[in-house]
Amino acid sequence: MMDSGFDRRDFLKVLGWGGAAVALSGCGNTSIEDGRETVVSYSEPADYVIPSIGVYYNSTCAQCDAGCSINGRVREGRVLKLEGNPASTINRGKMCGLGQAGVQHHYNPDRVREPLLRKGDAGETITWEKAYALIAEKMNGVSGEEVAFLSGGVSGHLKVLLGNYLDSFGCKNHFVYEAVAPGVMRAANKKSYGVAMPRYSINKAKVVLSFGADFLGSWVSPVHFSQQYAQFRKGVDGQRGVLIQVESKMTLTGANADRWVAVRPGTEGILALGIINALGTATGDIAAAVKEYDRVRVSKETGVTPGQIDKIAALLKLRSPSLVLAGSAAEGYAHGSQNAAAINLLNHVLGNIGKTVEACESVPFPQMAPATGNTAALKSLSDGLAAGKYKVLFSYAANPVFTAPGAMKFKESMAKAGFKVAFAHYMDETALQADLVLPLDSALEDWGTQVPEYLATCAQVNIQQPLMERLHANTRGMGDILLALLKQRRAEEYKGYEDYYAYLRGALLKNKGALGGANVDDDTFWNETLTRGLIKLEGPVGALSAKANAAGLKLPAPAEGDAQYPLHLIPGVTASLRDGRHTNQPWLQESPDPLTTIVWDSWVEIHPKKAAELHIVEGDIVEITSKTGSIKAQAYLFPGIHPEAISVPLGRGHEAMGRYAKGYGVNPFQIMDAVYDNETGELAMHETRVRISKTGQRVIVVKDEGSAGGSQAGKKIAVRVSTDDVDLSEEV
Amino acid sequence: MSVSNLLENWSQFRHFHPVDDKPHDPYKWAMSIDLDACTGCNACSVACYAENNLPVVGKDKYAHGHSMHWMRIERYWDEDVGVAGGREFPDQGAQFLPMMCQQCEAAPCETVCPVAATNHTADGLNSQIYNRCIGSRYCSANCPFKVRYFNWYDYPTTDNVWPAEMSQQLNPDVTVRGKGVMEKCTFCVQRISAAKVAAKGEGRIVHDGEIQTACQQVCPTSAISFGNLVDPESRVHKQWKAQQVELDKEAQAKDKHGEEGGSSGLRGYRILEELRPYPSVMYLERVRESAV
Repeated sequence: MMDSGFDRRDFLKVLGWGGAAVALSGCGNTSIEDGRETVVSYSEPADYVIPSIGVYYNSTCAQCDAGCSINGRVREGRVLKLEGNPASTINRGKMCGLGQAGVQHHYNPDRVREPLLRKGDAGETITWEKAYALIAEKMNGVSGEEVAFLSGGVSGHLKVLLGNYLDSFGCKNHFVYEAVAPGVMRAANKKSYGVAMPRYSINKAKVVLSFGADFLGSWVSPVHFSQQYAQFRKGVDGQRGVLIQVESKMTLTGANADRWVAVRPGTEGILALGIINALGTATGDIAAAVKEYDRVRVSKETGVTPGQIDKIAALLKLRSPSLVLAGSAAEGYAHGSQNAAAINLLNHVLGNIGKTVEACESVPFPQMAPATGNTAALKSLSDGLAAGKYKVLFSYAANPVFTAPGAMKFKESMAKAGFKVAFAHYMDETALQADLVLPLDSALEDWGTQVPEYLATCAQVNIQQPLMERLHANTRGMGDILLALLKQRRAEEYKGYEDYYAYLRGALLKNKGALGGANVDDDTFWNETLTRGLIKLEGPVGALSAKANAAGLKLPAPAEGDAQYPLHLIPGVTASLRDGRHTNQPWLQESPDPLTTIVWDSWVEIHPKKAAELHIVEGDIVEITSKTGSIKAQAYLFPGIHPEAISVPLGRGHEAMGRYAKGYGVNPFQIMDAVYDNETGELAMHETRVRISKTGQRVIVVKDEGSAGGSQAGKKIAVRVSTDDVDLSEEV
Repeated sequence: MSVSNLLENWSQFRHFHPVDDKPHDPYKWAMSIDLDACTGCNACSVACYAENNLPVVGKDKYAHGHSMHWMRIERYWDEDVGVAGGREFPDQGAQFLPMMCQQCEAAPCETVCPVAATNHTADGLNSQIYNRCIGSRYCSANCPFKVRYFNWYDYPTTDNVWPAEMSQQLNPDVTVRGKGVMEKCTFCVQRISAAKVAAKGEGRIVHDGEIQTACQQVCPTSAISFGNLVDPESRVHKQWKAQQVELDKEAQAKDKHGEEGGSSGLRGYRILEELRPYPSVMYLERVRESAV
């Protein structure tokens, strides 16, 4: 349908105005713009609109950075539902709940609709011309060093444009900040494997030993890993894969493990070395490094029984290849990098390098590769702001006022910037602190390209295209805004591009040959690319280092108990809310947490044993106090947590953002101490120590689980069978 | 069909198993769900909200049990976890179970409806006729799986659960239900109907794979299969057959092995089969490794 050479942009205009008007009148509304009646007869439908027939367009999910390809169902000019694009090697037609809620990001009633300029405590609506003029004025006479640009992860042509804009005034202060990101892992992998993000083949492993990597929930590329997991369970040669999860707080992945091993918080690395010791196959450096870690000592320090260590080692020896993963739970400590290095060492010892930890391709255009970052970047920005270094601050796709650790006092530092511009979808906590708020298009209205950091089987550039016309007349795409800002600086160079669409099309066509379109004309290439929604590429393959290095590997002894703050605070990263940027999507608020089944609120996970000790019962409002601050939330008795730790999920506790987010739950970021990983300087998210006390209040926990809790009351409802009793190779 | 006709000749219309005299032909929709693949991620539930116009009821109504999730994930712990004298940790993980209307062949909900608003279709679905429903809620009381959801409020209007532009997301193929009616999983009947009509136009029956329910389509681990149980080529048929689960029996080959104390190597079962509702959903038991 796309190869007839028609102009996609015209098509959307037609579709948007004609189609949307019809659709709107169909569901009770009669106008797109206030007060204007728009009735279009079906006897003259717009091209490519067949009333009541859904058409599907490919694009890219923007709810996280994994880069799943989506297939949007559009009817009468409205996007109704996001489904997976089967052609993508990342998600192969599948989606997660977070991704599907993308339509609620788009249709959200709390979106910012007009550019807003601060007037005291209120925002005054201004025009885009005035907004651009204001930015030009504020940038006048300001040097590049005095401007800071904060963004979430960016890639593709948007990153190129952003780089060009910053170059145009000699600014090198681009801070890439994702609150929940595998920053420590990238650095540790670089040291252990030679690449930051190797390809993990869960489906080829017979045993997966994961130290807190929630690859089914929120880690790196969960939809992709979920599919690999399904193959892994079916097994290689009929032998079902075995998952062992080591962590202090059960994640979704832990809940699916054959063996969930509760480890004392922070001792993951010690356990890894203990397993190497128990394997007894290491030689040279490595053998020397693990010599001290005999099972008695390791058991004492980690709380894992010697028998369990032996069983894990025996299974790893017996079934090869295996795969060992280091996740955020193991990395969230001051010695997080050492933990990760110890865990990665296991892959070398077990001979998994090149088998389940493989080299992967990268996109052959380094300028489009994703810019990644974690809290170290925010700290550096925050320090600069506190020192009064920046006159102008831009913020895009990040909400640091909500996600910065409380001890960083980011809000106070931000106030010291002279002029603050937020590109925003909602009036979130950061936008509220800005002087100028510029409203963004939703991902379903905007053009773009995206390059995922984790590439599944080949290099891939994802295409994002509008699935429908803009809902609100005065929102703009980030690409269009950057282009307009660039024109203020380099008018000559960019005058040929009417808008970001023209720029994107021009840029892709210029590289047509390298993008697999050498033998087709421009229009065919462009239309086919949009139809597919992604471009698969041959890219350079990173060199994997097979040489294990145990030099410099040193793990601290387990942390001593702290009389004043006896418990570890583990921030829970849930698959649907993550760092809280999508909390205003009601499907996600009402989607029960898989482990506790709680909805619409925060909770404190506490082990039943510990709760009994402290006389805490379910629903007690407890106060959690750290050195930095305190929060109050309902207690939930949860057996999947180490008794020396408690866990509060991230993502809730918004003071702004919108009707579905504001006022629900508490924000544990607020009480996080400023402890950083020794090697990378990233925030050690699990290092905050707390004490817990009852407030005397009690509520009924709003959750999906019934009065029987997690019990099946003796009935065979959800049944489990041992591997001894089934033969999966006989199954359909 | 008038209601009086339906009520007077109820036994003729009531379609349940065993049905030797009225075999399903050409369709009998059924499912199989592999609990060893299911990770409990909730993607299916969100897909159901998107496809079937399910209202988000909010915290207060959720607290009163008014949630409307046709597809929900139940989470169970082993009985001896976290209790005195039991295991300290759930060291074999949790048990997840996607639960939705089991489309029973002898559905307990159908017999108690005073107005025959819920009844059985010829292709084996337990259907709900919204504009016939008077809201007695007897069906819900009689459902052993607790998968029927009642509209206590007028969600689209007075409760305004789809404010402003949110209503534009609603799927036009599915009704938005008003106050006072019961609703539940339909096996995505709108998708089934569309495929049946398309196939009929081409003079054939629906092939396996042509219809995907929304939950099946989205499932990241492909744990859910859906199809025509009487089509020998369908994956669902093959799975049920391999597991020796028969639609019109209340005890299966696997249970017989169990009684004899042996292992059958099978893991297909239906929930609360002993109540004889003859559910159309077969679950495959979750497997756990014994060596570690």
